[in-house]
Amino acid sequence: MTSKRKKILKIAALLAIAGLLIGAGVAYYMYNMPHRDVQSTTTDYKLTVSELINEYANNQDAANAKYLAEDGNSKILEVTGEVLRSRTNMNNQLVLVLQNPGDIAGVNVTFGEQASQETPAVEKGQIVTIKGVIRSGVYYDDNLSMYVNANIDHAALIQ
Amino acid sequence: MKTLKFKQILLSFSILFLSFGLFAQKQLITTDTHIRFFSTTPAEDIESNNYASTGTLNIETGDVAFSVPMQSFEFEKSLMQRHFNQKRFLNTSEFPIAQLVGKVEDFGKVDLSQNGTYNVIVSGEMTIKGETNSFREPGTIKVSNGQIVANSKFFITLAEYGVTFSGGKPASNIADKVEVTVVAEYER
Repeated sequence: MTSKRKKILKIAALLAIAGLLIGAGVAYYMYNMPHRDVQSTTTDYKLTVSELINEYANNQDAANAKYLAEDGNSKILEVTGEVLRSRTNMNNQLVLVLQNPGDIAGVNVTFGEQASQETPAVEKGQIVTIKGVIRSGVYYDDNLSMYVNANIDHAALIQ
Repeated sequence: MKTLKFKQILLSFSILFLSFGLFAQKQLITTDTHIRFFSTTPAEDIESNNYASTGTLNIETGDVAFSVPMQSFEFEKSLMQRHFNQKRFLNTSEFPIAQLVGKVEDFGKVDLSQNGTYNVIVSGEMTIKGETNSFREPGTIKVSNGQIVANSKFFITLAEYGVTFSGGKPASNIADKVEVTVVAEYER
């Protein structure tokens, strides 16, 4: 074996090892990739609860296409509306139901785990603005015989 | 004549209010729910939780229904959550809501005024990713001091809902049948 050939083989082996390490690194990173931090991501739309409800009431498919992303990282909204009720869910997260008077439905806003602990008590009737990611829209459910509220989660109070 | 008219109006009003009252009592609503699914294979355990579903229980007929926002399922690993939502798996942007419609077959034995845990059978249809299949599964209804909590645990076969894996990592890491747990606390 000539020394030139040896050198080429050595370089090829090194490149292969480097490639494997990078591949494994990328795979490891992908597997452990953190969730999107909703609160530090730019808001896509700012609107009122009534505007969101009306958009869904007018054209559910168009609203879904506008707001829901194929990979689940759907649009981040800042939504303003009146607090109808406040409760804690089975995961100990704060849930605010925002619904403006006269509207057919509202939005269930589930707060992030940290925000659930840090958010001060909110009164019924108070007007608030929250930021969160939309998960589903408002629609009339024939099986439940009622309008089902939209869902926003990973939320925090903006004001 | 005048009094008769007044009486008629009074009567129709009381019927109206009575029917509203009955309607309000008949259908219980829940928004405090927990739906969890769990898949186990030798390679990996995968769990996902959803606390955002809405449901109803008709306490005269035993009819139950749930509406499940699919994008509200949370996974520990963001990559799995991404896969779950994608077109080739649950296609949640096109099918954002899963539905369960059914009936508690033996609702007659549940006494909502008596504390206790009642074993029941629920049957009906589930629609996930636009595919509808029938089901018949056991569950419990727990009554404690007016509070009503429904509970059920069953398996679903992913292939029946058009979720199939032809090979690679998903095929080895996701079970063919996943365990689904439903807990719902109804408002009275």
